[in-house]
Parts: sequence; structure tokens; C-alpha cells
Amino acid sequence: MAFFAKPRSSVRLGCRRRLFLRSFSSEHARDNDIVIVGGGPAGLALAAALAANPIAKNSLKITLIEGGDLSKIQDWGMPPNAYSNRVSSITHTSQHFLNRIGIWDYVEHARTNPIHQMQVWDGVSGARITFDTSAIPESSEMARMTENLNLQRALLRKLSDTPSVQVIHSVKVESIQREAGDHNDWPLVHLSNGATLRARLLVGADGFNSPVRSFAGISSYGWSYDTQAVVATLNHAPRGPFQVPNNTAYQRFLPTGPIAFLPLSPCTSSLVWSTKPHLAAALNKSSPGVLEQLINAAFRLPEPSLQYIYRRLLEGTKSSEEIKEEIMFRERSDGISSHSAYASATSMLSDGGIPPDDADALPPLVTSIQQGTIASFPLRYNHAESYIGEGAGSRTVLVGDAAHTVHPLAGQGLNLGLGDVDALSRCIIQALRHGGDIGSYTALIPYARERYFGNHKVMSAIDKLHKVYSSTAQPVVWARSVGLEVINELDSVKAALMMNAGASSRLENASGWDLLAKSIESLAGAASTSKMVSGMIGAGMQELAKNAGQRIFGRP
Amino acid sequence: MSTHIYEFESQMQARRYARVWPHRVGRNRTAGLQLSSVAATSSTVNATEIAHFSRLSSLWWNEQGEFSLLHRMNPVRVRYIREKILEATYEDQGEDARRELESKCAVLTGMDVLDVGCGGGLLSESLARLGARTIGIDASESNIGIASTHASGDPQLSSSGNSLEYRHTSAEQLVKEPKRFDVVCSMEVIEHVDNPVAFLSACAQLVKPGGHLFLSTIARTPLSYFITILAGEYVLRKVAVGTHTYSKFVNPSELISFFQTYRSSPSSSSNPTDFGDFGSDASPRPWITRTYAHGLPTRLEADVRGIVYIPWSGEWKLMPRSSTPWGAVECNYLFWVRRPLDS
Repeated sequence: MAFFAKPRSSVRLGCRRRLFLRSFSSEHARDNDIVIVGGGPAGLALAAALAANPIAKNSLKITLIEGGDLSKIQDWGMPPNAYSNRVSSITHTSQHFLNRIGIWDYVEHARTNPIHQMQVWDGVSGARITFDTSAIPESSEMARMTENLNLQRALLRKLSDTPSVQVIHSVKVESIQREAGDHNDWPLVHLSNGATLRARLLVGADGFNSPVRSFAGISSYGWSYDTQAVVATLNHAPRGPFQVPNNTAYQRFLPTGPIAFLPLSPCTSSLVWSTKPHLAAALNKSSPGVLEQLINAAFRLPEPSLQYIYRRLLEGTKSSEEIKEEIMFRERSDGISSHSAYASATSMLSDGGIPPDDADALPPLVTSIQQGTIASFPLRYNHAESYIGEGAGSRTVLVGDAAHTVHPLAGQGLNLGLGDVDALSRCIIQALRHGGDIGSYTALIPYARERYFGNHKVMSAIDKLHKVYSSTAQPVVWARSVGLEVINELDSVKAALMMNAGASSRLENASGWDLLAKSIESLAGAASTSKMVSGMIGAGMQELAKNAGQRIFGRP
Repeated sequence: MSTHIYEFESQMQARRYARVWPHRVGRNRTAGLQLSSVAATSSTVNATEIAHFSRLSSLWWNEQGEFSLLHRMNPVRVRYIREKILEATYEDQGEDARRELESKCAVLTGMDVLDVGCGGGLLSESLARLGARTIGIDASESNIGIASTHASGDPQLSSSGNSLEYRHTSAEQLVKEPKRFDVVCSMEVIEHVDNPVAFLSACAQLVKPGGHLFLSTIARTPLSYFITILAGEYVLRKVAVGTHTYSKFVNPSELISFFQTYRSSPSSSSNPTDFGDFGSDASPRPWITRTYAHGLPTRLEADVRGIVYIPWSGEWKLMPRSSTPWGAVECNYLFWVRRPLDS
């Protein structure tokens, strides 16, 4: 008898692309070579990567457990112009990997959008850096915006054609125990349906609150940013005939956090707005029509004016009309011409005309937000102290968010996870070739060695970017602006930086991040120097310091 | 006939035993090799042995413990065996056969493989996973117990489709039985035996015509003294003090010259009493018939490859075939020799 997680799922059995579910007895622990906990992109990609290799496919028994209903994702579909609010930029490296394991063809390409250019600017100083694919000789795109569901569906469809991987969904992991015995004990995974799986290797692809990580006794190191990310799918007019198509990603670093505009199609884009929790809450529950205007303003208004608008919002300016009034007032007082691209509420620009000079420096004006796409979630930094369990937690390994969580500002979260999966699958296949026990510590060391410090470097660079740009202290703003402007002038440095998005080889990728890490490091250094300077000013010197501060920084 | 105590493992075990129970083995500590008498006389299992059973087991299979260097060396040894089997397949059956075999994981499928001095079964388990009908032998009975118990927890090794067998015996004993092997391995053992020549000839006799003999050991050089004994045992304490004896290290040239004179008797695969034949004109050709000017054998007959531990990556590295006499084989090295088909 076939086992089903939910009685009603048996009704849909006739469908060709049904997840492959097998029968098993509940009282006896079944032996598995690999048990993957978590059916997110990382867990599914690991199963797919192993199934794509003939050696692993023929010698490994793989089971994947997911608590949620994967059949919904497998059958997922949306009208052509509607998009899910969770999107990721899939870098060249990740695309190459997905292609290699035969997944990229299962992704619905019409729903993806290439990024040819990236514009990043400082919300306080306005210093700007432009990343362009023309700096990368061999590729036409830096990355491709893809809905997470589109990728997950592709993975599930591929796996449903792969009988060697068993996917069990809508079943939760109740507990994980170590087999009783003095030696060679394997983890036992008890499921909510009464079954027990015995795992040679237990893979934690189970996200930030990873139960596998707790079982393995691996502690993790990190903190919550005082920041929430607000996401939404945005509608806007298509770019005019005199403008570049909607293939540019925009990101403005505001002191409250970066706001990003990620193109999905000619007239839809995705928003990721990281900001303070109270502001995020206000944005989240704002009346219809308010968030659109605030997004437009957040990309355009000078920083002090934005602060003013935030205050008005928090004080209870609720209606769309009131917010429009406030934004119009600030635009007039900041002297923004209604014919400038920086005008949103007072904009007199009509579609199709000749755009102003600076039109390409800003994203198109948001006209509406797709229904039900506004959501928010907290942002955190977290890195497991090890990717491999030892001692009482042996035969476990972590990938993706279970191993590390990063700020989304660089769009690297999913890519880091796919990089883990690529490395782990290669490591497992190598161990199989050498007759190794794939659950053993020795067999897994190459995976940890390949990923841990590389991930750490990328993660701390992203973390420092967030911190450096959260500052409004003048020396920091000056240092980071000069940093950006200088980088923008140095084509070779820029090309190296862009490799994080466009590299096809891991080496180049690493060097890009190395350079980025170094430049961020020096910016962070500037930030701490300014703190140190202020710290050195003793209590008895306060008067003098105030005067000096006025003279140097031009403010009291 | 001299007693060959060639189990690195048994020696390790004995030393561990000596460390924990110094009063029991005190007499034997004076000379390293006499420690073997502990293993030899402890064949009847006593309460102390049983009490140590789980402790020893966790030591053998504790990958971050004292055997961590051996665990990390294992993938390199298997990789070397795999490469050599593929090379031989190419020589015997051509490129297509080699490619077909390479695409498979189980390159040893259908082969009879013997692991002499198997210890806790590190290498034997890997060989069995590669499809070999594997027999692991060790002079220490408790090692055989540890190895068998460990393998029984792994369904891949304990299932009927795979065959992995452990026996408490020695190579000399096995020679008396009719069974011969496609591959005989003896890793990190020969530098612990009393009579390496007799040990080598016992191993050689167990190889089928056209079969392979793999050895790994340490060369007798100032560098190896410095690395394996001074640094490894006394300074860094990676390995228990007294594990190695410098004078017993074996140089590659000594292995090569042994097989330049060693000839299998034509009936060796069927005659259990055969002890090899040295220098007789009536016998078939020796295993190594010619060497280059600098003393290295030709690629098809034998091979010496250095393996080097890279401390910062925590990995052993298999060095490339060298054109100079002893490049990178001044310390740990792997040795492969093939018994001639027509012998």
C-alpha cells in the first residue's frame, strides 16, 4: 500500500508529475545513505545534484523529508504578469551548477529576467557606483532574477522523474536520536507518521532554526539586525523607447537599511526594503496607495526629507492623499523640478516622451503593488561554528540557511546555499569513488574546507556593508562615498567586484569577493577610527571637543 | 621460522595496553618488538580485554583521535589502488574497458582482495565498498573483533551482496591455504615486521598471476626520522611515542631489489607449500625485470609514489610519478608491483 501524508493527496494520484511516495513499515527503522531534512531550494538541489551523478545515483539511497506540502509547489503557477514576492538573483556560478545537474531547463525561463546592470548609491552622499556587464567580457548578464518557487518547482519536477530519490512531504521530523550502542551509531530520524529513518549521513537543509543543527550540537554565532525586510511585487510602466530596458537592479543605501528594486519583467519588479522594525510595521499596515508613494520617495528624496516623511507616517499620516501632500511639499522645498526623474509626487513626466537625462539613474515610478505580496521578515546574521557534526553529533552536515544566514542586501543567501550543495555533492561523490563512508568526518572534511572560510568572507563583507551604510557620521559617509566613487572610476577593480555576480569560475568569484572584502574592510576601518577619535575625547575636553566638532564637521 | 609480528595495529594496541597497564607489560617495554608477545599470548580473551574492547573500538574509529592521520591517509591509498587497477585494465583490455570501469564506483567488483594487517578495518571497509570480495587479516584478535563489530553496523557491508570477512591469522598461515588473491594490500605494516624479506615473500605468494601487491611504508632517511619520529611522536605527539623504529623503515630501493630477484614458482597458485624461489634459472622471470638508469622500475612492472601530509590542509597528497630517483619518496610512500601474468 502506498503511504500518503494526507488522505486527500491520493485523489490526485493520476497526475503524471506526482511526487514519488513509497510504502514502508512504521515499526522498523529503514536504512538510508542520506536523509535530507528540509525541502527548500538547498535540500532539493542536493538531492537533484546527487541523482544527476551516475555513481551517486546507483549507490545511494536518498530520502528527503519536508514538513510542508510540496505538491502545492510542484503544481505552482501564476498568471504571466503576476509574480511571487520571494525572488533571488541566481548568479552565473549558480546557473552553471543548476545547468550541470539538469535543473535549469526545468525552470520557466519566461518568468526569469536577466540583470545587465546594477546601480548602487549612497543614500546620504549620493555617491554612486554602476556595475555593467560590458565590463565582463564573456557574459551578457550578471545574474538572473528568479522566483524561489520557480526554482523549487523545477527541482521537484526533476526529482519526480528520479525514482532513486524518495521525497516524503507533509511529514514532520518529531525527533532525532542517536542509535543506542557504543560505536558506529547512526542518527535515527523519527517522523510524525510513525516511521523511523536510520541515516548514514543526515543533512540539515532545514533553515535558520535547524533541528539537525541542534541535534548535532553545533552552536552558531550571530545576531539579529535591528532591521526588518519588507518585500512586495511592484507594477510600473514599461521603460520608454529611449531608455534601457528593465534589466537594471537599483539599490540605495539609506541609514535605516538598503532599499532594492529588482527587475522581473518589463513592467514588474520586486522590492526588498530593509528598514527599522517600527518603520517596517508602519509600511506593512499602511493604507492602500501609501507604500507605492513611499517606495518612489525612498529612491528619490534627500535623506533629511525622508526622515521627515517617516516621522509623518509614524505620527499617523494615514491616507494616500495626505502622504502625497507631504511628499509634494518636500519635493518643492528640496527644489526638485517636476520634470526631473527625482520627482515622484509632483512628476509631470508622461510615458513615452523623451526622458530626462537622469532617468536611467532611478527605477521607474511604481504605480501599484500586486495584491497579497506585501510581507516582512526579520533580518539576521548567523553562522554555524562548524558544518560537520562531531562526537555525539557525528554523521551530520549542514547546508544553506541551516549553516548560515545573511542580510539579503547582496542577494547572496540562495547562491551561498547552492554553492554549499555543489561542494557537498562533489565531496560525497569523491568519497564514493574512494570507497569512503560518506557519513564519516574524514569524508566530509573537504566540503567544510571548501566552503567555510569562503562563506565567512562573503558573509562578513555583507555584514560590514550593512553596518558601514547604517552610519550617518560624516567621516564615515565621506570615506564610503570616496570609496564608491573611486571604485567606480577603476574599471578593473569594478570588473573584479562584479565577478560575484557574473563569474563562471569559483576562483574569479573568490577574487571578486576578496577585493570587495578588502574595500569594505578599509571602510569599516574608517568607521571605527571615527568612533575611536570620539572615544578619545575625554570628559574634561568636552567644551573643546564641541568647538572642534563644530569646526571640523560643521555641525553642533 | 621466525615469528613475524607485522601488525602496526597490534603494536599500537600493545603500546596502548602498555600505557594503561604498565605493570602487565613492563618486561616487554625494553624492546619494541617483544611487545608483540602481548598480542601473541593474549589470544584467549580475558576480562581485561573485554573491558578494553569498546575503548579500543572508539579509538580506532575516532576520526579526530590518535588514528586521525591514518583515517586521512585512507582516501589517498584507495585512490592509488583505484588508479593502478584502472591502469592495468587499460594495459590488459584497452581504453574502452578502462573507461567503462572508471564510470563505475565499484572498480574492484569480482576481485578477491586481501588486506594484511587490517587493524580496525579502515582500508578493508573501503575495499569492500568498491565491490571487492575482501578478507582482512590481523594478528591481533581484538582488532579483528573491533573491525567485525564496526562493519556489522553498516548495512552496506553486512548485507549479503557484499562480502567482507575478517580473520585472526597471519599471511604465513594464509599461504598454507589454497586461496590466492587478485589484490593483496599491506599498508603501514612492513616497517613493523621482524623479517621483512620473509614477510614480502609471504605476501607475494598470496598474489594470483597478473595480480597486484600494494604496500605502503616509510623510507629510512634523515627526513623521515625527523618527520615521523622526532616531530610526529615526540614534539607534536600526533602518534604515540614508540610507534616507529627508525632502523626498521624500508627504502623503496630495497623493495625494488627484492622484486628484481623474487620469482614466483609456476605452481605457486596451486601449491600451498611454495615459498618462492630466488635466482634459480629454471624459474620464470622476476617481478621486476628492468629498471631505468636511476634505479626506478618501468611503469608496467612496479611503481613508487610519495605521499606527503600537508599540515595546513590536514590532507595527505599523492605525489606525481617522479623522473628523478627519489623525488618526494623520502618519507611516506606507496609501492605497487604486479605479478607477471606468465609466471
